[in-house]
Amino acid sequence: MIDIRNLYKNFGVLPVLRGVSLTVNDGEIVSIIGPSGSGKSTLLRSINLLEPPTYGEIWVDGKIITPPDPYLHFEVIRASRTYRHMQREGWDDDAALIREIKARDLLKNHEGQKYHTLLKEITQHSFVDANVVREKIGMVFQHFNLFPHMTVLQNMIYAPTHVKKIPMDQAVEKARALLDNVGMLDKIDVYPGTLSGGQKQRVAIARTLCMDPEAVLFDEPTSALDPEMVKEVLDVIKRLATTGITMILVTHEMGFAREVSDRICFLDEGTVLEDAPPDIFFSTPKSERARTFLEKVL
Amino acid sequence: MRLDFSIIWGYLPMFGSALLVTLKVTFCSLFFALLLSIPLSLCKISNIRPLLWFADFYTSVFRGVPILVQVFMTYFGIPIATGVKMTAFTAGVVVFSMNSAAYISESMRGGIRAIDRGQYEAAMALGVRYPAMMKDIILPQAVKSVLPSLVNEFIGLLKNTTLIASIGLVDILRVGQLIQAATYRAFEPFFVISVFYYVLVMVLSWFGKALEKRVNKSDRH
Repeated sequence: MIDIRNLYKNFGVLPVLRGVSLTVNDGEIVSIIGPSGSGKSTLLRSINLLEPPTYGEIWVDGKIITPPDPYLHFEVIRASRTYRHMQREGWDDDAALIREIKARDLLKNHEGQKYHTLLKEITQHSFVDANVVREKIGMVFQHFNLFPHMTVLQNMIYAPTHVKKIPMDQAVEKARALLDNVGMLDKIDVYPGTLSGGQKQRVAIARTLCMDPEAVLFDEPTSALDPEMVKEVLDVIKRLATTGITMILVTHEMGFAREVSDRICFLDEGTVLEDAPPDIFFSTPKSERARTFLEKVL
Repeated sequence: MRLDFSIIWGYLPMFGSALLVTLKVTFCSLFFALLLSIPLSLCKISNIRPLLWFADFYTSVFRGVPILVQVFMTYFGIPIATGVKMTAFTAGVVVFSMNSAAYISESMRGGIRAIDRGQYEAAMALGVRYPAMMKDIILPQAVKSVLPSLVNEFIGLLKNTTLIASIGLVDILRVGQLIQAATYRAFEPFFVISVFYYVLVMVLSWFGKALEKRVNKSDRH
């Protein structure tokens, strides 16, 4: 399960994500859509910490991969000097006080020992290195990002043999099966430079699957493709969707998103405006913003 | 003035061993230069400030001081200051490898910088740790793109090794000086030496081109 809690991301002074919360259960397929600049890719890339968030937490399978965010833990806020100080000043309503501290971003570094002990406890209990999570969550990129100095097979087996330490012959066997699945077995020994965009993306998907991931993140997997190659890649993803693997997709292919997704998550200006099953979202969007967006793209 | 190349004949065995010295200094220096340039270039792209400062300072020193001065400093100066004695050969290799490492790491920095961010992201997304990512994904591609300037650096290094003649090592140039001293002839020995270096450099560049072709086989369409 992937649990994104109140995620903020600033690029310098520019806020890109402004408090995004999203839970994706095992086996669920969630499409993130929205206008360009809405923070879709940033959100997706923060899940495996390619883009470390500014505030907020990301939990994967009950483990936290970001530093704990004090604002998300009431007991931590209550342990802070600021809280106790304001209590003495006459704030007696706990909920109102916590809301005030959050709203005005009052927690600083010097909040006392108890505060830091509690934060450290969260880390000790639940923190796991991002690399551990990255082995479980694969990612497919817009620009494929195959390693150009390795053959297709070497691309496939590099991470399984070097990161997961799977024996070479097993990795090769798995790679062959996966390449066969995406119809690329005949290209096993060529270099990526000789492949078309669609072929590269199919290999990239197979490379990700070679790590046996529990979930796969797709970052606009067809946006860099010539139109006639979009279908071959979408077909591969559609087939993958039936295998029960968790998928989170950022895509501009609305028909495709509607067909494969369990949920559509509509993002605008860094916040989630809608989170609904595709039939409901596409037929009766709640927000004005989603309506105008859909009118433009459909 | 009549030219008489026959005087060279007697010195040929000396040229043979001198050529060996030149090649030994060149290849030893190249080896250590490459070895040293990798951590140096990694320092240059790191975001740890002190490492960056160190690497930039290192490069500026070896760029800013004439290499003959570096040779004299290492061979004559440092032993007096520190008591560490070096043979002319060691001093030469130390200077040339540290000097070349400064230049090679500079082009490596450029080569690493030129690698698409997507390569890092793909490696990270697969859970590849930093050392393995650098060793297997980033550096091989960076080296490939800086290979032409590496070959240039190599050629420069070979020609720079003539400076070790000035601290008494008998390399090709030194043989020429000996011949000149013994026979009072300058054109013949230095002409032969020029040919020696020219041929060596041609062989190296040919070798470099062949290597480039080999590593570029993955770009074939």
